[in-house]
Amino acid sequence: MEMQKMIYAVVSVKHNQDGLTSLLAGMKGLGGADLFAVFHDEIAAVTGEIERCDFTADKSLAIEYAGVIDALFQRYPVLPMRFGSTLESSGAILEMLVRNRDEFLQNLDRVENKQEFGLKIFCDSEKLAAELRMKSEAVLSPPADPGITISAYREYINKKLKEHRLEELLVDYADTVIAEITVSLALLCAESRFKKMASAKNIIDAVFLLDKDVEIQLVRSVQDLQNKHQGLNFILTGPWPPYNFVEIKIQ
Amino acid sequence: MSENKILFNTGSFDGISEEIGKLASKAEDSRLKLTPENADSGLAKLVLTLVELIRKLVEKQAMRRVDGGSLSEEEIERLGETLMKLEMKMEELKKHFNLTDRDLNINLGPLGDLM
Repeated sequence: MEMQKMIYAVVSVKHNQDGLTSLLAGMKGLGGADLFAVFHDEIAAVTGEIERCDFTADKSLAIEYAGVIDALFQRYPVLPMRFGSTLESSGAILEMLVRNRDEFLQNLDRVENKQEFGLKIFCDSEKLAAELRMKSEAVLSPPADPGITISAYREYINKKLKEHRLEELLVDYADTVIAEITVSLALLCAESRFKKMASAKNIIDAVFLLDKDVEIQLVRSVQDLQNKHQGLNFILTGPWPPYNFVEIKIQ
Repeated sequence: MSENKILFNTGSFDGISEEIGKLASKAEDSRLKLTPENADSGLAKLVLTLVELIRKLVEKQAMRRVDGGSLSEEEIERLGETLMKLEMKMEELKKHFNLTDRDLNINLGPLGDLM
């Protein structure tokens, strides 16, 4: 049975090095594995043993994995590692920490006292498309020239053009909402990332990195936006560890 | 996602779970599961997904040009014929390999789903 060391996260221990070992003593990793820390300078990698064949990422393992990271995040600035990050020994983990120390510290400083929030905006896609279609019928339908007989190919192009224009209108609408969110969050100094049209219903999928004390203002801002856009469903989640705001290429 | 992580939502929790579950299962479905037993169909799925991606990109670019007004009526006619035949050929290939639009869908990250 080949065992590996799974790395859950890299944490900053500059304010509380001793507390990490005792925190880990009360926690379990994937498959009930004991957790321990590999320390280097002001950082530590939280790790646990795992069998090589246990790697398939299913929902329950992913939740268990996220649970470990979330528990660490309650007490320490944390850089979550991608699921399945493993090395063969504690020595190899230490070497990785040494090689990437500066980048880890830089990113840990960036996320210290911050938390991530997710905002998913759903719509009734058919209803929204119908509304946009009604408002923009003139833009959507190519002008018909009464003197020309329309061939099957031209009809096909017209149909595709209509779909294309409707798609552009949906993207423009998502851009308008994103602009409003950006303005509304500017006061909270949020870092943000937006993804448009993740699916037909999920028109915006956003993540924000915010100071720990502005959660209430964030909820209020989202509430105001929801009041303005009654046809959309805003879902705000968090606080999360900074999953989407870590930029390290580990060497 | 646990309910205590939801800070704001005007819809029902079940509704969100279902929608997020669909997004997750779509990501799962879009994985290519190649094994020695399904190497042929797995490869067909991979190739047709790439062909469909290119076809969609060509179609998008063509619509931009039609919309931009840079094509003559004759060019639009020929474009219509080409795109229509490409779509029909694609339908034939999907049928031949027992694949559906859902099988060929891949998530293009910031660009969203292929279909």
